[in-house]
Amino acid sequence: MFKYSFDTLVYGDEPVRKSIERLAKFGYDAVELVGEAEKYSIPEVRSACADNGIVVSSLCSIFDAERDMVHPDPKVRQNTLDYVQKTLEFGAEVGASVVIVRPSPCMKTAPLADAVTEHAWAVENMRKSAEMAAKLNLKIVIECWNRYEAYMLNRLDQALALAKEVNMPNCGVMGDTFHMCLEELDLAAAFRSCGEMLYHVHLADSNRAAPGIAHLDFVPILKALKDINYQGYLSFEILPAAADPFAVLSNGGATEFLDPYTKFGIDHMKKCEKLI
Amino acid sequence: MKIGASTFIWVSPFSNDTFHLFSKVKKMGFDILEICVENPQTIDPVLIRQASLAEGVEVLICGAFGMDRDISADDEATRLNGINYIKCCIDIAAEVGSPLVSGPMYSATGKTRLLDPIAKKKQISLAVANMRIVADYADQVGISLAVEPLNRYETDFINTVDQGLDFFDQIGKDNVGFLIDTFHMNIEEKSIGEAIRRADKKVFNFHACANDRGTPGVDHLNWIEIKCALEQIGYDRYMVIESFTTEITEIARAVSQWRPLASSADMLASEGIKFLKKTFI
Repeated sequence: MFKYSFDTLVYGDEPVRKSIERLAKFGYDAVELVGEAEKYSIPEVRSACADNGIVVSSLCSIFDAERDMVHPDPKVRQNTLDYVQKTLEFGAEVGASVVIVRPSPCMKTAPLADAVTEHAWAVENMRKSAEMAAKLNLKIVIECWNRYEAYMLNRLDQALALAKEVNMPNCGVMGDTFHMCLEELDLAAAFRSCGEMLYHVHLADSNRAAPGIAHLDFVPILKALKDINYQGYLSFEILPAAADPFAVLSNGGATEFLDPYTKFGIDHMKKCEKLI
Repeated sequence: MKIGASTFIWVSPFSNDTFHLFSKVKKMGFDILEICVENPQTIDPVLIRQASLAEGVEVLICGAFGMDRDISADDEATRLNGINYIKCCIDIAAEVGSPLVSGPMYSATGKTRLLDPIAKKKQISLAVANMRIVADYADQVGISLAVEPLNRYETDFINTVDQGLDFFDQIGKDNVGFLIDTFHMNIEEKSIGEAIRRADKKVFNFHACANDRGTPGVDHLNWIEIKCALEQIGYDRYMVIESFTTEITEIARAVSQWRPLASSADMLASEGIKFLKKTFI
């Protein structure tokens, strides 16, 4: 009933064809690519997808300190919009339907401007991003991160409020179950409250490993998604247990996140589907 | 089971100017005030003892481990400062009648480096050696140390009960055990009930926090599972609500609490104790 995708972030630098083959082997419908256009050859992505019956569901954009829509330096804000434009173009080229866009970067835990100014920049630049995306027939989604990764936008009600202010039909919100497990009081209720503005979902268990490894109950979440008639992808974004999971991966650690968790996660979700 | 409230819910740092917390928590029905020693200069054990006796509220002492208080730091001066700070907390605990000193005393909170196995081994051996020193010091005055695992964003050292049990095996002191905290366990433990059962008799102190560190009971944690596990291991000591005022100083960056998590600190504590008494007593 649900469509499954997998964010290749956790696969690090492995060739995209190998990632896509792995996802096809374990029964995924789609792949979520990292929003760094220069890392990929577009013809290679297209042919690897075609050869394996996989589509590109979405792009996971990377917002680092230089990509910050609410930075006091107008050059940084413009650089961020340039990055979004480039990433949207890449998304359109590979046939993605959703691109994740966030006004403030990962690990930014202190504002550089007052709250009113930051908010105005966030609305203005998210609207510009939505307008750019609309021209390419793409949706953008606002992602919330837990308190340790961002001071801005920790909970879905905050993202919904921003999306409503942006007020563009192609700008919605997404929920990531790992971050939600820390920040939301009731995950299923938080998903329900998004209603038709929920355009994307990231799946991970409470410890960010594959669903089924830890203690998060995905059955009420799937029920909520079914009830709001969610039509988007459920995309696994699983990462190792560290404040900086990417350093673990680039050091060759956490190999269980390759074949074992890729298989375990989707098998677990399909079991949960039978219980709703 | 005695129910407590952390001073961090209202104030940072606790000082002689914030003794009103004793009567506040007493009125709310708490048995315990857990005092976090952010700045020992502001802590007067004699006055605390008096306030504690006058209000009939027991005191538990807890440490706050900023970057300069680190028994497993690379440089010796910082390690010594960490040892001296823990000893200072032990002295305060002895004077105010707290049987425990609690906290993530193995390292500085917020240290999340990725160490290679050799550097990690060195850090562990420094922590083990220095934990033995402070455990012996505590033992002379009949005090135990309750070591708190923290989630991945606050430490790279001890995130889970299993890692803590390994650490205790290496230390080999009976007066070293756990402070386990449901907020951190929600992130790090595959099963919170299992983790409690594995910690077993080593649970010396317990922080009952909501998954968002707001009011326990209005959150998504499975409190029945937690209750059953604590009953199975026969735990009936302390259950303390910990949350943070957004004005916290010593470890503000590390705990990353950017927004108020209840309509007020008083509401968080009074609604929290109602839930904990209903569930655990």
